[in-house]
Amino acid sequence: MTKHQTKPAKSHDDILEEVGEALDIPESKYEEAKERYESLGEWLDREDSSISEYDPEISPQGSFLLGTVIRPESDADEYDVDLVCLLNGSKTEFTQSSLKEAVGVEIRLYADANKMKEPPEDGRRCWTLNYADDVQFHMDILPALPDEQSYKLLLEERGFASLARDDSLTGQAIAITDKTLPQFNRITDDWPQSNPQGYAAWFRSKMRVQLMEQKTALAKREMIMASVDDIPDYRVKTPLQRAIQLLKRHRDIMFADDGEDKPISIIITTLAAKSYNEEPTISAALQSILRSMDEHIEDRDGVAWIASPVNPAENFADKWAEEPKKQENFNNWLECARRDFALYLRASSFQAVPDELREALGSNLVDRTLKYALGAPAIVSSTSAEAEELKRADAAIEDIQRSGPQSKPWLK
Amino acid sequence: MSEIQRAIAFDQPKLAAIHGGRGYLIKGEFLLYDDSSDVHPSGPITSYEIRAIVPDQFPRREPQVFETGSRIPRNPDRHVNHDGSCCVTVWEDWLAREGDKSFYGYVNGPLREFFFSQYYFETRGRWPFGERSHYAKGLLEAYAEALGIPCKEAKVIYHLRLLSKQWPKGHWACPCGSGKKLRYCHRNELWALHEKVPPWLAKRMLIRLQEQLDSRRKDKPRGNQRR
Repeated sequence: MTKHQTKPAKSHDDILEEVGEALDIPESKYEEAKERYESLGEWLDREDSSISEYDPEISPQGSFLLGTVIRPESDADEYDVDLVCLLNGSKTEFTQSSLKEAVGVEIRLYADANKMKEPPEDGRRCWTLNYADDVQFHMDILPALPDEQSYKLLLEERGFASLARDDSLTGQAIAITDKTLPQFNRITDDWPQSNPQGYAAWFRSKMRVQLMEQKTALAKREMIMASVDDIPDYRVKTPLQRAIQLLKRHRDIMFADDGEDKPISIIITTLAAKSYNEEPTISAALQSILRSMDEHIEDRDGVAWIASPVNPAENFADKWAEEPKKQENFNNWLECARRDFALYLRASSFQAVPDELREALGSNLVDRTLKYALGAPAIVSSTSAEAEELKRADAAIEDIQRSGPQSKPWLK
Repeated sequence: MSEIQRAIAFDQPKLAAIHGGRGYLIKGEFLLYDDSSDVHPSGPITSYEIRAIVPDQFPRREPQVFETGSRIPRNPDRHVNHDGSCCVTVWEDWLAREGDKSFYGYVNGPLREFFFSQYYFETRGRWPFGERSHYAKGLLEAYAEALGIPCKEAKVIYHLRLLSKQWPKGHWACPCGSGKKLRYCHRNELWALHEKVPPWLAKRMLIRLQEQLDSRRKDKPRGNQRR
C-alpha cells in the first residue's frame, strides 16, 4: 500500500521493504473488506434495525487496526477481519446472552438480505460471517458494550492507578460476551473485558516519531499539500509494522502444518512493540526486536507472563502454563527467526538472501521480490571489492584507535 | 538463553554455542564488521573460522580461541601457536582495564581487535594496535602497563605482592623506592591501585608471571627471543 517509486534496491532495508510490501494486503482487498464492514454497520444502524436505538458501531480491531495485516500464505487461505460491534447500552439492560442474540438477529438478517450461502456462525465470543470463496475473507464480529468505568475501577484495585487515569489507553474499554461462562445468562456486572482501541493507542505511541517521519516522507514523495496530520495511518508503514509483518510471515511458514500451537500474533506484536525504540530502518528494528523481545516476558511466581500494556493483569501467554507446547514453539520460533534474519542482515550482502531466510519467508515470494527489486545484477570486480574491504577495515581500525584498543596480541 | 549465547545470537549468526563439560564450545565463522552492530550492504568485511572454549568461570578464567581455517600461518610472530591457539591478549591486563567485562564485551573488544589486527597484518604487514613481546617479557610489559609503573621485573613483582594482600601492609617499604614505610608514603596511590587490581587478580598475575619467569630460566634460549 505504500508502493514507492521503483528504484533498484541498494541495501538490506530496500529488499526487506519490498518483501514487506509484497506481504501487504492488496489495496483492492483492503477496500473491499472496508466496504463490507461499513455496509454491515449501515445495516445494523438502519431505521428498521431492532438495535438501532443503541447506535451500533462497527470498527476494526487487531491487525487491521494496527496496520500489521499480512497476506495469507496461499490464495486458498482467508484474511481474518476482526471487528467490534459496539452497542451503546449498559450491563443493567443486557445479559451477555441477550447482547449476543440482539446482534446475532441482525447479522442473520444481513446475511439473508445479502443472499450469503452460509448463516453466521455462533462462536464463543464472536459471530463469524463467511463470504463466498472468491472474496477470500471472513469477519469475526465481537458484540460489546462500553465498559470504561468498571475497567478503570478494576485497574485501580489492582494497583495500576496511573494507567486507569490515562483516557487514551483505557477510555474505550469494552465489555464482551463469552458463552462458556456460567453468568452468560444472568444480569451481572461481571463481564469479560477487552480494550482493542486502548491497545492500538499504545501501539501507535510506540512508533509515534516514525509514523510522523513516514507521513512526512509520503507527503514529499507524492507532493501532498494537506497537513501531515491529515494523512491516515494506513497510508504508511513504520519500520515496526514492517518488522512485525516479516516476523508473522516467518511464523506462518514455520508453523504451516501446526496452526493450533503457533505463537499468536498478539504476543509477537506486543513483544516487538515493547522492544522497539523508534529505529528508523527495518533492519535496525529487527535487530532490536530479535535481540530483546524475550526479555519482556516476565516471570511472575514461576508463571511466564506477557502483560497486556493496557491491563498488566492480563497475560497474553495465559495458555502457556496448561499447554507447554505453545511456549516451546514460541522459543523455537524466536531462535529460528533470530538466526534466519541475522544470517541475512549480519552475514550476507543485500543481494544474497541466504537460503535459510529465503525458505523461512517463502522462496517464491522472496525470489519474485528479488527479481523485481534488483533489476540487472551489477558487475563488481574482485579488485574493487577488495579495495572496499580494505577501506572499511581501515575505518574500523581508526575507530578502535580513537576509542583506545583494549588488547594487544601476545604469545604464551 | 545464557549470557554467552545471547552475546553472539544475533551479531554472530555463523557461530553456534553449545554447553558441555565445564563451559561453552563455540564453533563457526567469526564475522568482522565495521561496527559491532552494523548492517552493511556488502555484508561483513571478512571472517575467520574459529573454535573457542569459554569456561563457566568466565571472566575469571580466560577463553581459549583457535583459528581453524588455517588462514593465519602457525607462527609465533603471527601470535598463533602450532595448534592454532590464538594469543588474543594478556588476560589479566584486559581484566584490569575499565569497561565491559561481559562475554559480549570480550567478543566485541579483544576478540574483534585480534582478528582485525590479523586482517590488517595480512594486508599491510603491520600490527595496527601494536603487539606484546613474547612469553614472560610480554607479561611483564602488560602487567607494568596495567599497574602504571616502569617495566622492571623486581618492581612489578613487589607491587603484585603488596596488592595480593587484602590489606596492603603499611609497614612494608613503599614500592616507589623512597625507603619510607608505605603508610607514610604512597599509601593512597596504592589503595587506588588496589581497587583497580583486586587481590585475586594480583595473585593470579603474580603466579603466572613467576611461572613464565621460571620456565624462561629453565629454558634460556627461549628467554632471549625478542619481538
